[in-house]
Amino acid sequence: MHRAALRKSGLGSGRRTEPAGADSSLFDLGADPPDAAAVLLGGGRLQVLMLLALVAGCLLLLLARQVASAVDVAAGKQTQWRAGAQGQVLLRTSADPALRALQGQVLQAVSSADGRRVEVDALLLQRSSRWQSDDNARPRQQAQHQALQALVDHEPTAPLRLHFAGGTQLDLPLSPRGWRGLGPLWWPLCALALALLLHGAAVAMATPTGRSRAYAVMCAAQAGGLVFVALGQVQGLLLPRALLAAELPLQAALDLATAAAALQVVAASAKASPAARRLGQAGVVVAAGAWLLFLLGGAAAPWWLLQGLLLGLGAAAVLVLGRILQREPDPFVALQRRLLLGGLVLGALISGAAALAPTWPAAGAELNAAVALLWHGSLAALLLVLPHVVRASPLLREMTLLAVMALLVLAAHLGLQATFQLPPPTTVMLALGASLALYAGARPSVMGLLQGNPALSTERMFDRLYRAARELQARPARAPRLMAQVLREMFEPLELLPQDSAPPRARVVGGGAELLVPLRDTATEAGADDAAQPPGAPAALRLRFAQRGRRLFTLEDARLADRVVDQLRRAAAFDAAVERGRGEERLRIAQDLHDDIGARLLTLMYQSTSPEMEDYLRHTLQDLKTLTRGLAASEHRLSDAAGEWKADLTQRLVAAQLTLGWSFSSDRDLVLSMAQWSALTRVLRELASNALAHARASRIDVQLSLHGPALLLTVADDGAGRAPEAWAHGLGLGGVRKRVKQLGGTVQWRELAPRGIVCEVRVPAFAAKA
Amino acid sequence: MAVKVLILEDNPVARSFLCRVVRESFSDANTITEAGDLETARRHIRIAGGADGMHGVDPFRLILVDLELPDGTGLELLTELAQYPATKIVTTLYSDDEHLFPALQCGADGYLLKEDRFEVLVEELQKIVRGQPPLSPAIARRLLTHFRDGRGDGQAPDSGFMTLSGHTISRPVPIEKPLDHERLTPREVEVLTYLSKGFTIKEIASLMGIKWFTVNDHIKSIYKKLNVSSRAEAAVLASKQGLV
Repeated sequence: MHRAALRKSGLGSGRRTEPAGADSSLFDLGADPPDAAAVLLGGGRLQVLMLLALVAGCLLLLLARQVASAVDVAAGKQTQWRAGAQGQVLLRTSADPALRALQGQVLQAVSSADGRRVEVDALLLQRSSRWQSDDNARPRQQAQHQALQALVDHEPTAPLRLHFAGGTQLDLPLSPRGWRGLGPLWWPLCALALALLLHGAAVAMATPTGRSRAYAVMCAAQAGGLVFVALGQVQGLLLPRALLAAELPLQAALDLATAAAALQVVAASAKASPAARRLGQAGVVVAAGAWLLFLLGGAAAPWWLLQGLLLGLGAAAVLVLGRILQREPDPFVALQRRLLLGGLVLGALISGAAALAPTWPAAGAELNAAVALLWHGSLAALLLVLPHVVRASPLLREMTLLAVMALLVLAAHLGLQATFQLPPPTTVMLALGASLALYAGARPSVMGLLQGNPALSTERMFDRLYRAARELQARPARAPRLMAQVLREMFEPLELLPQDSAPPRARVVGGGAELLVPLRDTATEAGADDAAQPPGAPAALRLRFAQRGRRLFTLEDARLADRVVDQLRRAAAFDAAVERGRGEERLRIAQDLHDDIGARLLTLMYQSTSPEMEDYLRHTLQDLKTLTRGLAASEHRLSDAAGEWKADLTQRLVAAQLTLGWSFSSDRDLVLSMAQWSALTRVLRELASNALAHARASRIDVQLSLHGPALLLTVADDGAGRAPEAWAHGLGLGGVRKRVKQLGGTVQWRELAPRGIVCEVRVPAFAAKA
Repeated sequence: MAVKVLILEDNPVARSFLCRVVRESFSDANTITEAGDLETARRHIRIAGGADGMHGVDPFRLILVDLELPDGTGLELLTELAQYPATKIVTTLYSDDEHLFPALQCGADGYLLKEDRFEVLVEELQKIVRGQPPLSPAIARRLLTHFRDGRGDGQAPDSGFMTLSGHTISRPVPIEKPLDHERLTPREVEVLTYLSKGFTIKEIASLMGIKWFTVNDHIKSIYKKLNVSSRAEAAVLASKQGLV
């Protein structure tokens, strides 16, 4: 059914047809990279991209400047706070000597010069309100941040007073954060965001379809998310103003847009059913509705609702891909589905970690930051990698795995930092070690997933090749079919089509979707090699979608196919050459025998003095001709031979005025070997001569039948012969016995009632295979 | 008026044997000219009026050509005598179609097998002159494939694979002659098929429900078509080479 569907869609014809224009984006069957790059560089698209880069870059710089110039307490002095077990704020370290003396103290409140006081607790350290899973704590968190900011806004120049537990108070001046205060991850994250944005724009411009535009929306949304993460990891007590303003609605909007666009990308594929398309549209509507709900503040448990909705939309996308796969196996779609599923699982884990954060106040801040970074970071990596991983290039696949490994390192580092409170270098080392171990362990299975295991084990492949070579020797005309069969068993392609133009060597095209295997050696096109190949044979074979659509072709597959075809061709050519040599030699012998010896026997025959001698010589001459004809001609079909035997016998019997009764039946047209043909010819001739010479009969009945593997030949006459057991077999009948024994059969003569003798020749295993 | 016969045979014993056969075959007197090699035969033919048989000069009416000659094959002579108004018969030891078929293509009107008995040879010779040439099963088979595949000698291609490219064999098609001359009628194909299976003329006549003479007429027509098609093919090939 799949084949029919493929053919109907026009992709199954012998000629190479490009996939339908509307769908040939980077997502689908490998538009090869050169095409996309060429499209991109053409036209004004490059200029548009550069303009976009310029604008986005300027915006980011402006944002950075704003954040850097905002004031914060004890900025630039590398002060670090941490959360205590009871939800208090503790001072961890500080470069400021005054603060260092207070290490480990609990900060209870912050007040301004005019006496306004804000109580603080661990929630202050949690930067992202979007990732605060405790819906009751979120308002308090936001209130704390806003109060603190209001405090600073009221008197930007006056120092803030920090109130520690135990009554200690410390006045700290306010100063701008400075560029150092942006945090170590600011610039990398901004660069990543910019790259993501440009990448999405490039894809959308290279192939302007609805799907690539949705992809561009996803990239833009996640770029925004990354900027939020960058804002969140800015150092200091105060949050950047941009973050305070409207984090939850804006971030919710970005994430919902990403999820809805993802579903739309999948559902708008040409291969999706109309139900899937409607699902995609429904997803957009649901996402928009949910956002409005958040905006109006009407949701009961907004965080859970948001995460649930995001994961739900992702799961819907995976389901749609799964449905598409069921209908039409396609390794690219399978790969996309695996990646999406992996992303979904990761997303669920991250959500779970965020959900658990409130139960662990001590690690709350770290988890909050880590979760945000992981979520957006992994989404960004997935988006960057998704359109490219379908290429057959091993370099890009390795880069994918490296990206995954980097993510793992990051996650482990953050996790370790959160749980064990170890100093950064230690956590990095540990994280690196653990991730390397995991990578090394998982890589084989991951590569196996991507590339799949070959269908045939080495042993079976060898066996198959050997049998194919033997069959090729017996029937060289079947070479194309045999090679197609072997390739089919090796790769289990979804489709195998002949093709007229052949590349010089096997080639993987379409990003791993198809494999072109040449069947002829184009270098020796006009050679005697091709004498064995029939004229209608195709020049190459095109295999499509390895392993019933589950995996892609790799370069190793191409090389293997080359080797296999080469070996089979060589086997055929060698056998053909040997056979030709033998045939030429036989022909030479036959010709010499015939011309020289035959001519001499003929002369003798003409000069014979008695009819018996003449007959004897004629008989000898005919035997010689049988021998030479058997040598010269390699193939005798049973039906042709039977016709000649009948004509021969008819002529001889008519000359002697006897009647011939002839019956021939065979269940197939067997090809006789030289030994079989010459043996039967001479046996028949001998038996007929014997009957003609001695029986004084009026008719001879010959019956020849081949059923299954057994041959039966009977020659009966109605003559005067009796008691065949008592006959002394001369040269003639002795020859009959010898030939029949050579054929592997039995011969016996017996009497017929009322008169005559019948000779029965039975060869049970005349034909080798039934 | 005596019938002029030319016998070309290098073996002197066989030559005298064939002379006896010819004398026995025809009751009216005939002059037998013997030639032991190709050159002698050509000389005799030139004396008798040339290869195209000039009118007014007494040409040979029956020519027996041996295929196994020392200085070139008898096929050459046959080709030269294509327009000669005589019954041309090849004599040979080979009875297989590999050797006989080209001779028939070159315009032989029949063949005699040297190994046959005297009586058989006489009868066969008479039949050929009467217009009832023989056709062995092997030759019949060869004729069937020859006419089925057009000019291609031999086996139907067993590609064993679907051919999307289609047939790419280009065949020269003579423009002057209509194609009917080179194709066999269904009856002729039927006759050939029966012959290839070893049936006698009598059996074929009864199987097909036609007269014995009709079968012979079919065989004669097949001979002629073979000759015509071979000559046409040769002419076209020659002209093609001339163009190239």
